[in-house]
Amino acid sequence: MKLPINVTVNGETWPLDVEPNEILLDVLRNRVGAKGAKIGCERGDCGTCTILLDGRSVRSCLMLAVEADGHEITTIEGIPDNGVLSALQDLFISHNSFQCGFCAPGIVLGAHELLRDNPNPSRYDVQHALAGNLCRCTGYEPIIDAVLEAAGEDRS
Amino acid sequence: MTVTRQPFEAATPDDKLTYVGTSPPRIDGLDKVSGAARYVDDLDFGPDLLFAAVVETPHAHAIIKRIDTSRAEALPGVVKVVTGADFPFGFGLYMKDRYVFAQDRVRFVGEQVAAVVARDEGTAKRAVKLVDVEYEVLEPVFDPVFAASEDAPLLHPELKNYPHVPWFFPHNDTNIAHWRKTRKGDVEAAFAEADLVFEDTYTVPRYAHCAIEPHAVVSLYDRAGRLTMWSASQSPYTQRHVIAEALEPLGLTHQQIRVITPYVGGGFGGKAGVSMEIMGAALATAVQGHPVKLRFSREQEFYNTYQRQGLEARIKIGVTNDGTLTAIEHTMHWDAGAYVEYGANVVNAAGLSATGPYRVPNVKIDSLCIYTNLPPGGPYRGFGYSEFNFGLESHIDRIAHQLGMDPVEFRRKNAIVEGDTLSYGEKMNPSGLLECIDKVADAINWGTGEMSGDPNKVVGKGVALMWKAPAMPPNASSSSFLKFNEDGSINVTVSGMELGQGYLTVMAQIVGEVLAVPPEKIRVETPDTDRNPYEWQTVASHVTWGCGQAVEAAAIEAREKIFEVVHRVHGYEEDSLFLSKEAVRCTTDPDFELPLRDFVIAGIETADGSYRGGPIVGSGMFMPEFTSAKSDPETSQGGHPNVHYTVGAAGVVLEIDRQTGKMHVLRTALAVDAGKAINPDLVRGQIVGGLVQGLATVLYEDMRYDDNGRLLNPNFTDYKIPTSLDIPDEIIPIIVEVPQPDGPFGARGVGEHTMIPAAPMIANAVEDAVGVRIKSMPVTAEKVALSLWEGEN
Amino acid sequence: MAIAHQFAYHKAATLDEAVEVLTRAGPTARVLAGGTDLVPWMRDDAVHPETVVDIKAIDALDEISLEGDHLYLGPLVTFSDLLTSELVADRLPILREMADTVASPGIRNRATVAGNICSAVPSCDAGPTLLVLEASVAVLGPNGARTVPIEEWFVGPRQTALEQGEVVTGLSIPIPDQPHGAIYLKLQRYEGEDLSQAGVTVLVTGNNVFRIAFGAVGPVPSRAHEIERFLAGRALSDGLIAEAQHLVLGAISPITDMRATREYRARICEVMLDRGLRAAVSRRDGNGPAYGTRLI
Repeated sequence: MKLPINVTVNGETWPLDVEPNEILLDVLRNRVGAKGAKIGCERGDCGTCTILLDGRSVRSCLMLAVEADGHEITTIEGIPDNGVLSALQDLFISHNSFQCGFCAPGIVLGAHELLRDNPNPSRYDVQHALAGNLCRCTGYEPIIDAVLEAAGEDRS
Repeated sequence: MTVTRQPFEAATPDDKLTYVGTSPPRIDGLDKVSGAARYVDDLDFGPDLLFAAVVETPHAHAIIKRIDTSRAEALPGVVKVVTGADFPFGFGLYMKDRYVFAQDRVRFVGEQVAAVVARDEGTAKRAVKLVDVEYEVLEPVFDPVFAASEDAPLLHPELKNYPHVPWFFPHNDTNIAHWRKTRKGDVEAAFAEADLVFEDTYTVPRYAHCAIEPHAVVSLYDRAGRLTMWSASQSPYTQRHVIAEALEPLGLTHQQIRVITPYVGGGFGGKAGVSMEIMGAALATAVQGHPVKLRFSREQEFYNTYQRQGLEARIKIGVTNDGTLTAIEHTMHWDAGAYVEYGANVVNAAGLSATGPYRVPNVKIDSLCIYTNLPPGGPYRGFGYSEFNFGLESHIDRIAHQLGMDPVEFRRKNAIVEGDTLSYGEKMNPSGLLECIDKVADAINWGTGEMSGDPNKVVGKGVALMWKAPAMPPNASSSSFLKFNEDGSINVTVSGMELGQGYLTVMAQIVGEVLAVPPEKIRVETPDTDRNPYEWQTVASHVTWGCGQAVEAAAIEAREKIFEVVHRVHGYEEDSLFLSKEAVRCTTDPDFELPLRDFVIAGIETADGSYRGGPIVGSGMFMPEFTSAKSDPETSQGGHPNVHYTVGAAGVVLEIDRQTGKMHVLRTALAVDAGKAINPDLVRGQIVGGLVQGLATVLYEDMRYDDNGRLLNPNFTDYKIPTSLDIPDEIIPIIVEVPQPDGPFGARGVGEHTMIPAAPMIANAVEDAVGVRIKSMPVTAEKVALSLWEGEN
Repeated sequence: MAIAHQFAYHKAATLDEAVEVLTRAGPTARVLAGGTDLVPWMRDDAVHPETVVDIKAIDALDEISLEGDHLYLGPLVTFSDLLTSELVADRLPILREMADTVASPGIRNRATVAGNICSAVPSCDAGPTLLVLEASVAVLGPNGARTVPIEEWFVGPRQTALEQGEVVTGLSIPIPDQPHGAIYLKLQRYEGEDLSQAGVTVLVTGNNVFRIAFGAVGPVPSRAHEIERFLAGRALSDGLIAEAQHLVLGAISPITDMRATREYRARICEVMLDRGLRAAVSRRDGNGPAYGTRLI
């Protein structure tokens, strides 16, 4: 039986009818078109499906779509402000922080959450905050460096 | 065009490079950080998209007695159920030993026996459980050494009938699918004369690539009979070719198949060749007119795509008291799995090069590709070299210790240099191996002991060398088209794949260098076999070198056309013209400057108002015409199978908790001879990323199977890859540049090499720190602790 | 791949309503809180509830509060809540240390402490710590409310004392007398997100009363009463710790599985006991490593 829900995705309200067994990640990708949230493992291990739910990072593969009723969701598509990349995104580009890029949406969102909650993170803080977002390409160094530089720019 | 030219051909007469050797940010960076990048599973196909799910066998070895699809077909929403009977077609890259779906026999747990196509994923998943398959279970075999024996059950009775490339040597009526023998000198005599002969066995388990994007393919066999595939692949052309060959009985031809590869979320070899994509192609023909999506789950990604093969290696080395390597005997039993159509070439590559980067006058290598009832082995970053290097570089360290020599000095003394004779008779290419060794030793303060601040912990150091040649057929080729746009910007089409390594950026830099156009004005996109010219595959760390030569040739062709038209209109001799800052200039007339954007589409206006020239295009191709895989099957002498080797060295400072075995990399350095780093930041990215991936294989990962051949850890919970907290405190990337004479601007590939030395350097550092020698990978904390405790008892 | 089976979803407005629906829906019904276990288990076809009862719309279940000398955790308190609560940091920093080892932010923001003990996998991080804190689990069911001491909570792997129709309504944790010191040591293969290979929580109060519990080395997280009795009232010394280590094998029943061998788990538990005892005492005495410092 389909259930009506209202979800706000990147500022737009989406009235949707969903089956109870539909996964939020699938609904975001297939019904809302937010393809930035990726399917990597479907069991919460890799972090590439990360979204912000009411401002906090969650694994959209571990949520039923119906659970998102009444909540605000931000995906990677919602991070640039009027098409302008965040300072962090610019630094991710200049540091070559991503190679294949498949983990990038989750890491960009996770790093934004970190810098909002902790504007002055240590290297360990960055590593700890991103430890659930797997990247196979980069060895993480250029990612961590970019986040630390972004924090430094905030401070200055 | 093809081009014969000198290295370091530059855009300007003073040989100064403008873009090559600099590090512009990667040209796909914006796509990737903004969420704009589209991968296969992100593409939209409309409401008639169908979903496929695979029926897999739970048995490692069995005969299929009967398949009943009727219950699945009756489920509402199911469109089609297919089995092996619908597609009795063999396929394979180097040896045709696989089938689209299992025929009469299954050979590994998880092998596909049937598939369901349904209107939604949930229905497909439910229908899979309704396909009834009856099996007669057979005895499986998992141990490669036993599998190679006469007592083992035969897994491929039809081996003798499988078509294969001429450089494979199957042993009929055995499980040995290929046996590469390399012989040089006389090892027996050399061992007899050696002052020290040392022999031991090393084992390496299977590993998974773990690209974060799982395999996915969407296939549309349209109503006009054209098959289009959107594929997460490193190898669009090879996919088209292998699929065209396999599905030829259905009337499909190369012309009728189109493979499109958008961004791919990591490959590492796992998305080379053809694995699950063959099912996608076949299923599309069964539901003509509807696109059908086959996306592997993470679990399937682990157990039904290629895996890195397991290895048991017996190594025997002879040396003289002065530390000269005189002989090596290296016998490798490879657990190649159920099908070896790609993996046999990994075995082959190792069989040609398992001396490592050393000068060894007497060589005997046996590399045996052995069928087992585990999932198919295949290419994985390092392609055989990562596997054999664990044992080899462990063994080298141990011999140095037995001789009382410093392990770095021992390696230095025997390191291969330009002109030395390789195992198969050819000469070694120019290389900066000694420089790599020295710089790594320096970076880790080799020879200086270090203490931990924690009384429970000790610190050890280890080094390892590496080398690797691209393993390619002798006619593996690359090609490129190039066109100018009205504003002087350029589109380049190639069919190499951006896997994350930065290939698109590097191609743009090469074109930019030749044509004096900044890389940011050059658009290079991912392949489409209908539109982009041929590329063999993006594997073997060869695209910078091989495809780089093709794009350079295309750019030079375009440049010649530019000079020709300028000569015709302005009269300057072509050899006086050069390109600088997006304009044509002349050495004999400093005032002459003609911006490219003024004429590369419109042509150059003459005095009478007519125009000369027109759209400037270029094409280029490259094939390594000097290679040959033909050689004596008993010795491997006589051919020229490898284009060149890339060499390097790595070292580590490792801290170990004696009570728990837990290890932490304090510092690691890796030097690789890139010939010429076209984009040094991207090379450093390969070093850091590759080292961490290599460290993962030694410190953490391995694929665990139960006694029935079922993979126990097909997920990131228990086959985890390193997280951001599991990296070295410090990684020192070192680029050495001894030019490769035939490389673009002197470049050679580095992508795979950076993970090859990681495993043995850790094993060597463990011995240095705590005195135990671990001879089987991975070298986990648990294994180190258990070894220490064993020593205590 | 999607969840293949269909189920009814019920968003309860009150705990009573949740109990009523759970009772009516029968034995397969499941409570949905953070969902970080339930959703993937459904996707993997490991559980097939016909009804899922979401309790997240019920008011005030995510509160952390002080009730006399007890800390109260509502059933929707997440591990992230433990990390950001000043009350937890002030009164029971051991909870914060434990929460910091659980998975990663994307999971901790969603996964609840109550859900962790309801899933009751042997490696659950909350288990050993709640055991040494002698928490009690408040439960509401068709027969009314009851309280289950945490030591009676874990019945077997993925089995708890929760009965059909019941839902956890909170955790009540007595705050030990000051001064006290505690530590959670978690052996992991990876420093980042990983499940526990073996874990131990040690708590010591001012009069050298020790409470010790192990996780991931038996079918359920369990207290090590024999070691506690042996140590009770005694001052730590190298010799005493060595004797206590000899009692570890009697307190645990590790197995060999994907994550570690029996031998490794057993031996590491001895190492962790040693480090845990020393660290707990030094923390009590004000000269120990800061909470959150990893000692293994």
